Amino acid sequence: MSPLVQGAITIIIGVGGCIGYFYFANMLLDKVIFPARGNDAGRNINRANQVRPWLFLFPAIFALGLYLVYPVVGSFLRSLYNRAGDEFIGFGNYANLIADEGFRTAFFNNFLWVLVVPAMATFLGLLVAQLTDRLSWGNIAKSLIFMPMAISFVGASLIWKFVYANDPDIGIINAVRASMGMESLDPLQIPFWNNFFLMVILIWIQTGFAMVILSAALRGIPEETVEAAIIDGANPFQVFFKIKVPQIMGTIVVVWTTITILVLKVFDIVYTMTGGNFGTDILPSYMMSFMFRDDGRATAVAFVIMLVVLPVMIWNIVQARKEMR
Amino acid sequence: MDSIAGTKSSLTWAVNISVVVLVVLWLIPTIGLLVSSFRDRDQISASAWWEAPLPVEQAYRLRAEGEVRQDGGLWIIEGNVFDASEMVETFPAGSEHPPVAAFGITGREPGATAAGQEAENRDGGTLVVNADGSYVFTTNEEPGDRPPRIYVVAETPPEFTTENYNTVLGGDGMGQAFINTLTVTIPATVIPILIAAFAAYALAWMDFPGRGLLIAAVVGLLVVPLQLALVPLLSLHQQVGIGQSFVGIWLAHTGFGLPLAIYLLRNYMVGLPRDIIESAKVDGATDFQIFTKIILPLSFPALASFAIFQFLWTWNDLLVAKVFLPSSDESWVMTVRIADDLLGSRGGDWGILAAAAFVSIAVPLIVFFSMQRYLVRGLLAGSVK
Amino acid sequence: MKHSLYTGAAILALTAGMAQADGHMVFALGEGDFNWESYEAFAAAHDLSGQTLTMTGPWTGLDAELVESVAAYFAEATGATVQYSGSDSFEQDIVIAAQANSAPNIAVFPQPGLASDMAARGFLTPLADGTADWVRDNYAAGQSWVDLGTYAGPDGADALYGFFYKVDVKSLVWYSPEAFDEAGYDIPESMEELRELTDQIVADGGTPWCIGLGSGAATGWPATDWVEDMLLRTQAPEVYDAWVSNEIPFDDERIVAAIEEFGSFARNDDYVVGGAAAVASTDFRDSPGGLFSFPPECYMHRQASFIPTFFPEDSDSAFFYFPAYAGQDLGNPVLGAGTLMAITNDSPAAQAWIEFVQTPIAHEVWMAQQGFLTPHNGVNTDLFPTDSQRAMNDILLNATTFRFDGSDLMPGEIGAGAFWTGMVDYTTGADAAEVAAGIQERWNSIQ
Repeated sequence: MSPLVQGAITIIIGVGGCIGYFYFANMLLDKVIFPARGNDAGRNINRANQVRPWLFLFPAIFALGLYLVYPVVGSFLRSLYNRAGDEFIGFGNYANLIADEGFRTAFFNNFLWVLVVPAMATFLGLLVAQLTDRLSWGNIAKSLIFMPMAISFVGASLIWKFVYANDPDIGIINAVRASMGMESLDPLQIPFWNNFFLMVILIWIQTGFAMVILSAALRGIPEETVEAAIIDGANPFQVFFKIKVPQIMGTIVVVWTTITILVLKVFDIVYTMTGGNFGTDILPSYMMSFMFRDDGRATAVAFVIMLVVLPVMIWNIVQARKEMR
Repeated sequence: MDSIAGTKSSLTWAVNISVVVLVVLWLIPTIGLLVSSFRDRDQISASAWWEAPLPVEQAYRLRAEGEVRQDGGLWIIEGNVFDASEMVETFPAGSEHPPVAAFGITGREPGATAAGQEAENRDGGTLVVNADGSYVFTTNEEPGDRPPRIYVVAETPPEFTTENYNTVLGGDGMGQAFINTLTVTIPATVIPILIAAFAAYALAWMDFPGRGLLIAAVVGLLVVPLQLALVPLLSLHQQVGIGQSFVGIWLAHTGFGLPLAIYLLRNYMVGLPRDIIESAKVDGATDFQIFTKIILPLSFPALASFAIFQFLWTWNDLLVAKVFLPSSDESWVMTVRIADDLLGSRGGDWGILAAAAFVSIAVPLIVFFSMQRYLVRGLLAGSVK
Repeated sequence: MKHSLYTGAAILALTAGMAQADGHMVFALGEGDFNWESYEAFAAAHDLSGQTLTMTGPWTGLDAELVESVAAYFAEATGATVQYSGSDSFEQDIVIAAQANSAPNIAVFPQPGLASDMAARGFLTPLADGTADWVRDNYAAGQSWVDLGTYAGPDGADALYGFFYKVDVKSLVWYSPEAFDEAGYDIPESMEELRELTDQIVADGGTPWCIGLGSGAATGWPATDWVEDMLLRTQAPEVYDAWVSNEIPFDDERIVAAIEEFGSFARNDDYVVGGAAAVASTDFRDSPGGLFSFPPECYMHRQASFIPTFFPEDSDSAFFYFPAYAGQDLGNPVLGAGTLMAITNDSPAAQAWIEFVQTPIAHEVWMAQQGFLTPHNGVNTDLFPTDSQRAMNDILLNATTFRFDGSDLMPGEIGAGAFWTGMVDYTTGADAAEVAAGIQERWNSIQ
């Protein structure tokens, strides 16, 4: 059966199946298991409402459990063994990591990335969202800024090679330097600053993401609050910072969080531009150098990455608790 | 807002200009690649992409294949550089030839002498190349089998070609790869959204024990590096019997895409007005009805946004496709074909790489631009608050 | 072959391949000076009608077509169907496939190190008895080829797992004969003369060398070839062998000296295009372009035999043997590499394939097309399409010492990891001894 036909059938089955599952499960719950009739009506309704969330959640939990939790647990266990997987060494891999200078460099660099990229991307996204808000050609502008997101990482690396290349005939930066009479240099070899040049690439890509979401959020701000402020004599800057931003703060944080987590996962950019050389390694690309050779160490690095995100997780639980009344 | 605030034209100007600046900054790198995809390899290395429309001064080497005659003790070769076999490709016969700017007798100084002037050649005679390409080469020795070399510097007209695109698109299997990619991305976008929408609603609007923990777990799972999951999951698929197949990759993308989907959708749903939902409950609607009749329509912008992101992600994905799809040529998606086949054999040719990059961007861009309208419609259609 | 590692971004699994070998034979049976007797004998002895042979390897694009052209003869002779599938990230794919029990029948390894790893984990099947003797008798420097294909199995016992097919010569210096001609330079016959030529070019105002190490995630690998060549020219081959197996530490002074020999070329701003700083960031595929420009950006480029694929079209290029020191008494060492075939999923077809690649015809078919060298001394070298190919193969057949690319023999983490990044650090200014010590430390940690 041609995959195309398979695909079409899958969509039908998948969509139909999902809807069917939810619909029938709900019906089952409400009509059969806990019918809202008779003496136990009240209690049944309550029971039904207690079970229902789990019905809604079941497919998701199943998929997540299988595809993400199971490998994670398996990987954590794997990280406690040696490179071939047959000898239990407890936290030996983690100890080795801390002692390895390459790891420390990668960790420090990652810290920089996590600090800079989400902040810049969110900031620029917000800026563009606001600026293009009422512009007649706003949609075009937004689409153009979003475009880098449509480009695969391989494509993005290629594009930026044309910017950073050593040769003034290829790289824009060096061409500008040459026109000003300066010598060419390789931006990706400058110690410490090369990290920022790589970060620019991810910011370039992710700003579109932030912009789309924040744009929707800005649109959702009730007009009355803005109008009231203007009537009270506020200038556009005050309106922006004192009225708009606080109201979409929730979304800003969500965007920041999502980009932070993405930063911790993306290895392609560093991997293809410098291979981790010149001190640009970050944890995900550092992990690649162990992948399939020393799976014990590779999984240990993966775990460190997940630990790094722990504060974000905790913060989110706190937020969630606050929200529900 | 502007109308209420009065016309602040200077501010509007400032806004317009800053947006223009930002857009230009964002576009420049991509334009560079776009332009390069239409140039051929030699021109790319000879001049920068922003100089692409300008003629490039290039040096050429050719052999003096002109007519040979003898005049006393002197051998004379006369001809025109543009007739030489090495030049015909770049300057086809009959087309306008650019003037020769300079010429030389050695590769180290191909433009040592200006056109029209006389230079000494290595065989003891002289060489003159004129601006129109005609040359006269004199020597005391009889020219042997190999005509002497002449170097010429001429301004080559800029050449734009769709050759690169032909190579990428016309390459074996690109059409099949395109269909494969479509087959992978559409189900892998639609199914996660459905599952996530239900889960997000539950996490946003239903109260049950363990909710906070689940939300935290979802956030935590966001960061799981894909690479970790690949091998164990592939083995699992093999055991279950689906092995490497399209079914496998649909399931994999669903699993990998759920955390982000649930996270984004939940955050959006939490912001929906409580009153509408409460009043619906008071009216006797079941959770399921509330979900399908109120939440889903209101969440349309978020659903559309996530659909775009998931589509882009699965379209541009290389890793998951290589692991979960069969490795035979007929199952390759576009990213795999470009990365494995094209890059592997044509890695040094910037023009081809650029064309390949744009070929793979085309569809996501079309999708984005068309979905854009839905996004906007969704946003303007219902004033949420 | 390292040139297949330059994308190196993705991890993948590959299993079966695409159907090809539909009887498309490049050279009609019986025509030409091929060794058709070997073909007939093979066909008569094997009948695998209806069976399928799956094969994966690092060859893509043109190379994939060429191997399929060879497979067509196997298919024709035995009636089996051959499916070959190639990938740029083969090294990672095959590990995944083996772990997930979906390995192909035959895998073509560009690095013995990886094959050795897999043999130890039980993923390979030893080759049939008698294969080792055959290689010893029929390959030039046969014993080396047997040694390179012999690994310890899961029980610790050594066996021959790998059969070498298609090799590469690496000790070559590429140049433009026209450029040399015009400048009046002669081909150097010894390392001393090469150094003199280098200085001569500088004195004449040119830049002698193009060196580029860039290769994405594999950046640094060309430098490892340089260091290995220099080591073979400054020390006895036993030192090389001890280095590769870590019997002597990486930071042994002899190794450090070899690294510094490389540095004497690459870290000298006058000797290299773009200066020492550009070496690490210039892509290895772009760097030889400088040989063919007018004026030439450089005059010489040391690289393996695959590099002409990346020269601009219609460029006149030639090579000469990367010379040895006349002052040392080490003969003419040649550094090379090759791909080896191993059985990753045993079947009668797999066994038959290994026998097939022992026939001269299996080598001649590829040889006569392009880009193929072999140590098989039963082939007809007149079939090479160009004199330069024949000359390259002669270098192979006449080497006094032949050694396999060291970084391909070292464990993956070193030979395709620490050594590469160490070389990048060295070319950008780090101290050779420190770099070597760092690599040794890494090696210690994986023992």
